[in-house]
Amino acid sequence: MTNYGNAFANHLQDNIVAIKKAMGDSTDLVIREMTLAHTCNIGLFYLDGMADRQTIQESVIAPLLDRVDDPTVSLDVIRMSMLDASDVQSVQSMDQALDKVLSGSLLLLMEGHAHGLIVALPGWEDRSIVESKTQPVVRGPGDSFIETLRTNTTLVRRRVKDVRLRVCTITIGSESKTDVAFMYLEGVAKEDLVRDLKQRLEKARVNQVLEGEYLEEILQEKKRLTIFPLLYNTDRPDTIAAGIMEGRVAILTDGTPFVLLAPTMFVDFIQSAEDYYQPYVFSSLIRLLRYAAFAICMLAPSLYIALTTYHQDMIPTQLLLSLTAQREGVPFPAFVEALLMETTFEILREAGLRMPRTIGQAVSIVGTIVVGQAAVEANVVSAVMVIVVSITAISSFAVPSYAMAIPCRILRYIFMGLAATMGVYGITIGILVLITHLCRLDSFGVPYMSPVSPYRKKERKDAVLRFPYRSALRKRSGAK
Amino acid sequence: MKLYRHSFVILVLVMTLILPGCWNRKELNELGVVLAAGIDTVGNQYEVSVQVVDPSAMSKQRIGDRSPVLVFSERAPTIFEALRKMTTKSSRKMYLSHLRMLIMDEATARRGIQEPLGFWFRDHEVRPDFYIAVAKGRRAKDMLELVTPTEALPAMDLYKSLEVSEKSWAPTAAVNVRELFQTMTLDGVNPVLSGLTIKGDMEVGKQLENAKQPLSFAEYQFVGIGVFREDRLIGWLGEEESKAYNYIMNRVFSTVGRVKCPGKEGDFVVEVTQANTKMNPMIKNGQPHVVLNVFVEANIGEVHCKVDLRDAQVFNAMQQAAQDSLAIILEAGVHKVQKEYGTDVYGIGEAFHRKYPKQWKEWKKSWDDMFQNDLKVEMRFDYNLRKLGKIIGPLQKESGE
Repeated sequence: MTNYGNAFANHLQDNIVAIKKAMGDSTDLVIREMTLAHTCNIGLFYLDGMADRQTIQESVIAPLLDRVDDPTVSLDVIRMSMLDASDVQSVQSMDQALDKVLSGSLLLLMEGHAHGLIVALPGWEDRSIVESKTQPVVRGPGDSFIETLRTNTTLVRRRVKDVRLRVCTITIGSESKTDVAFMYLEGVAKEDLVRDLKQRLEKARVNQVLEGEYLEEILQEKKRLTIFPLLYNTDRPDTIAAGIMEGRVAILTDGTPFVLLAPTMFVDFIQSAEDYYQPYVFSSLIRLLRYAAFAICMLAPSLYIALTTYHQDMIPTQLLLSLTAQREGVPFPAFVEALLMETTFEILREAGLRMPRTIGQAVSIVGTIVVGQAAVEANVVSAVMVIVVSITAISSFAVPSYAMAIPCRILRYIFMGLAATMGVYGITIGILVLITHLCRLDSFGVPYMSPVSPYRKKERKDAVLRFPYRSALRKRSGAK
Repeated sequence: MKLYRHSFVILVLVMTLILPGCWNRKELNELGVVLAAGIDTVGNQYEVSVQVVDPSAMSKQRIGDRSPVLVFSERAPTIFEALRKMTTKSSRKMYLSHLRMLIMDEATARRGIQEPLGFWFRDHEVRPDFYIAVAKGRRAKDMLELVTPTEALPAMDLYKSLEVSEKSWAPTAAVNVRELFQTMTLDGVNPVLSGLTIKGDMEVGKQLENAKQPLSFAEYQFVGIGVFREDRLIGWLGEEESKAYNYIMNRVFSTVGRVKCPGKEGDFVVEVTQANTKMNPMIKNGQPHVVLNVFVEANIGEVHCKVDLRDAQVFNAMQQAAQDSLAIILEAGVHKVQKEYGTDVYGIGEAFHRKYPKQWKEWKKSWDDMFQNDLKVEMRFDYNLRKLGKIIGPLQKESGE
């Protein structure tokens, strides 16, 4: 795997040379040599910025200097009684040692010993825990995951205080060496699922893993081509904790605040954490509204195209006349008009996302004026089209999960094409194919459309609608 | 090989998208939305007129003083030909799905409506939800050309007026194409159509001037009901007789009726809130006999005579008077239809058909004759006056008594 030596040499100087060679004289590598009892040399190695310099000073260097004249000091003595740190391990190979140094630990080597000590004293700059940016709630916990794995596991553990909660970590990526942690409730989560996930990730040959999406693609079966997300991702610890207690497996990746949840069903993406923090009647209604928004986001422009170019007889007379009046002088067919406006909106949206915050305002102003008004006044598009596009755009934001809004946006274009060639008939065919596709999907053995299809009576209570806790929660734990 | 097969499937799928192509795709600005159509008979030919919406006149950036609708008309031996011939006069294809009104002139109606209506029943584009009327004493084309003041689109004006007045004015019978089709295909019932006419100065009525002052120069009005035998118009019913028709057909939703005050000078007006008629056919002495059970619930709406409505006797007398006056109207209406026109527009024959299917087979052929001569119509009334309104007597000074 790596090209540096595997075993430690007996002489400290040899080790220093080897390490320097392996790390190529990186300027952030700190090597501190000390001499104890006039004869015994000690070398400390850590990466500046990764390990906490202050703690190293207080809990490693200070105790060593205290007994600088004591000849009985040996590596074992240091390990057992001298270091003022909680996590101290003996390390035998250079590989392991360097891996640890690279993730923020301190390596302590001693002249005459072919092994070293690893003191875990990571201390890099962290982002503080802030409110979820992707799925904020009105009522409910405000914390969200951050980029540090350990903090994230803690956020989950604080919500699931159960001895059965397991955290197991593997390292993936030959270069990034990213820690990936699985969290699940033993006995509640399916054993096979955990084993399967671990095996598939361990087997994966990738050189870097920077975000959960890398894992998502590794875990996806090659034959199953789909634009729908088969793993749920969120930066909300409460959603993940709830998932774990339902018997799912959370996959936390170091370096990203987004945590994956497996297995996943379609309904997960329409649910929001807030559903559980508001009265169930309201939550159920809001969920229905989101399903409607999902449908509108996918179908609104295509229905407009189909109705105005094929099925004018289905539009109420007065509405038809007002539509006709608005389309007077518009040079494009409805399909081209819709395509133009939808694409303009997608461009605006992308531009608004990627550009520096300070000039974001300018984009929205240009967008509103150009798309909203000037285009209509110049008779390039009709006013109704602007309404349709706006409703579509707003609906796409009403789908709580960004991951589900993406296929929705892609499908919108497909449906527009179908509507332009075959009208409502085409849309119907598209919906049938879509439903068939969704029913064929599964996420780690769980049908994607369950509990709706196949219909599972016991789980249905928290699927499309949210039933009150007293009837739903008690049974859920028994169901899995 | 596998790739080849896959691409073949994809090719077929793409072809299914493209091959049906734009078979009846039409953009909104390629359509001339026909809201009303008229059929006149001119010699041996039909003159078909259509009232098409002028969308540019409807839109916000309207150019000048254009009429919101355009009327095209064309002569041909058949309706379809005439309609297609119109493309030579207009840039847009006539789109018939949103037809609201179909108007025929009297000549066409008297010649037989089956032939000119065939097209409207058959064509896939036409939706069977428009109303049909006969232009009484006018050409259908004139009806389409009238500029109506209330709605910018004359056809919508006619359509709405018909819908509103059918619900609140008993003499109006709105007949839509589906009902007409049903009555034309059944044996024991003959169709009726509402009559439509224009009052006032037609020449000014055709100009935009007609809608530019509070009082129009010319206005349309639905007048009475045209009675058909088979598919030919044979005569008209007046206001009272039309009212009778609607009562018997159970089509009165709400209306008002004027009644003479019992024993006093002046009239009072009842507002009918509920009217229900049950037709009960029976055979008496081998002759057809039909009992009409008329149930009416009404309120007092206007009183022009000095009566004390608090007095139960007076009130009952008024109730009786209202009932009697309704009875007179119904009997006169039935009499005219039965004795003068001799055509069963009430569907009494159909009622016998349902109740006595065997007997009907014998009667079927001579039913028109039996209806005119042998059928006895008996009416039973259940008339209830309910509310007096917010005041009791007529408006008067307290010391006036």
